[in-house]
Amino acid sequence: MDFTYFIQLVLSGLLIGGIYSLLALGIVLIFKASGILNFAQGDMSAMGAFFAWYLASLALRIELPYLPIMIVGMCILAFVVAFMIEHFMLRPLIGQPIIASLMSTIALGMVISGLVTFIWPGPGRVFPPLIPTGGINIGDISLSVGNLVSFVICMIVFGLFVLFFQKTKLGLAMRGTAEDQQLSQSVGIKVTIIFLACWFIAMLLASSSGVLIGSLQMLDRGTLAAYGVKAFPAVLIGGLESIPGALLGGLIIGVVEMLSGGYLDKLLGGGAGEIMPFIVMLIILIFLPHGLFGYKRIERI
Amino acid sequence: MRRPCGTFDTSYGQDLAITRTRFQWIIAVIAAAFFFCVMPFMAGADILSKVNILAITIIATLGLNILTGYCGQLNFGHAAFVAVGAYISAMLVHHLHWNWLLTVPFAAFGTALIGLIFGLPSLRIKGFYIAVTTLAAFYIIMFIFLRGGDVTGGINGLQLGAIQIGNIAIDDERKYFFLIMIFLVILTFFAKNIVRGRLGRAFIAVRDNDLAAELMGIDIFKYKLIAFAVCSAYAGIAGSLFAAYYGSVSVDQFSFRESIWYIGFIIVGGMGSITGTFFGVIFLKSIEFLVTSVGPSISSALPGLGSQSISSIMLIMFGLVIILFLIFEPRGLYHRWELLKASIRFWPLTY
Repeated sequence: MDFTYFIQLVLSGLLIGGIYSLLALGIVLIFKASGILNFAQGDMSAMGAFFAWYLASLALRIELPYLPIMIVGMCILAFVVAFMIEHFMLRPLIGQPIIASLMSTIALGMVISGLVTFIWPGPGRVFPPLIPTGGINIGDISLSVGNLVSFVICMIVFGLFVLFFQKTKLGLAMRGTAEDQQLSQSVGIKVTIIFLACWFIAMLLASSSGVLIGSLQMLDRGTLAAYGVKAFPAVLIGGLESIPGALLGGLIIGVVEMLSGGYLDKLLGGGAGEIMPFIVMLIILIFLPHGLFGYKRIERI
Repeated sequence: MRRPCGTFDTSYGQDLAITRTRFQWIIAVIAAAFFFCVMPFMAGADILSKVNILAITIIATLGLNILTGYCGQLNFGHAAFVAVGAYISAMLVHHLHWNWLLTVPFAAFGTALIGLIFGLPSLRIKGFYIAVTTLAAFYIIMFIFLRGGDVTGGINGLQLGAIQIGNIAIDDERKYFFLIMIFLVILTFFAKNIVRGRLGRAFIAVRDNDLAAELMGIDIFKYKLIAFAVCSAYAGIAGSLFAAYYGSVSVDQFSFRESIWYIGFIIVGGMGSITGTFFGVIFLKSIEFLVTSVGPSISSALPGLGSQSISSIMLIMFGLVIILFLIFEPRGLYHRWELLKASIRFWPLTY
């Protein structure tokens, strides 16, 4: 219960938080572009991760390098999934009330998780070694190398995405679409292509976080679904429309989870890390209804 | 809302009436006679048990339809509110040895209070944010029940034992059927009265445009809170009935997926329609009963599928049904029912 323990918890929370940031980024991206809160992010990450596991085990069997095969496969899967979602589910739902878009993503999550259970039933899977294991000690603080590496990967992916969003033409089109769909359509941006790209990126982010979680722990649908649910407090704390908010919210959720797990579990008998993110989110939302960096909407009738 | 040719309202009372024509009265009486005098004595225990579960689910879903369908507030924590009602009843019966019937009002009011607390954020936040706060409510409430120690029974839950009302021990499906049906009829009537009165109109105004509603003098916050309270009171009564019907309460009866099912019921049935609630629950639950009854024989015929595949097929089907309804019939089965009635009335003409 001393200071090093506290620092240790905060640091390991930050490392875990990187994964939440990735999941939250996918949700924020889709919300910014199309105004849909994607409840299927956890299930999408499960689908991507299981598919990657399947490819990796195939590649191991025929003795090919599994990492490039996994990455290419994840990209192809992300494109297929994004195309299906955009084409068959979202287009018919344009202009419907928010409950329709919410429920459609939840139903989508159910379909995806049902498919994953159907194709890969039974207990969890173990990834071939992707990231190193073991621990390092800095003074009295010990950290897991796996978590550290996954945090670095998360930050690199996040940084790449921000570069793409700020520097490329497609990123500019995405920002324009997020700002105003009709205006960007009138200057020749194909909004449907932008939606497709957003879902593609979100699916890619989801599956990479799924692979990271799966190689840190075991690849299991329940674990991934729990991560997906806890990405929502991260999104709302940061603000639904804010990309830096997704990063910060994810890190906050990671720290809160580790701290409450470290200090409150003894009092409550375990599981405090599962709900404290929600309680923190409720408290923050009561004082800042739009999160830390969300847009304050001025409504007109 | 279309009526047969020649039926006119001459007073406001007639305009609001539930049964407007003599034909509807005859149908209502025949249906009531069938449901209360013929069916419980003809049907076997397995059918009655399914009807009982349907009826309790309808009660819970009525509350959600008032909150989501009429007042427009999303609620992803409905299963947790049902659990609150069930646990209040179970705790009073288990620890204090109360009669179950006495615990029902406590379950209703206690759950309404919890619903009010979690409805409070709707003062400041709305839309997606309120949806996620109800999600938070679900996890927080279920966590409290799981970690409640001896008070809530922890992971094992609580036992209620046999239910006794007066001198009658409610011990078989038929007695449960009458008990639940009485609740269902009263609560349906109550829900219908809420939504066709001042309260319901205020709810609809808040749903359609809350700023415009406020400008018209409707206190949005008050009505949102009332909607949350009514919704959770219904959930509480349904939970109390679940506790009595199953004889025990535990955390895994109330999963997050149940919450999604409740929203699915009102989407399939028709949001903002009391009749639609019935359609939605009966339609989706029938599919579920069908799959669970056919499932074991399928998995024994095809042993390669494994036990998880039936539940995963169920998930896929449920998700697809919701997506298809959202795309092709967002107004739900109730709208189809109205169209069907209209086309029957105009038959053989098209309009």
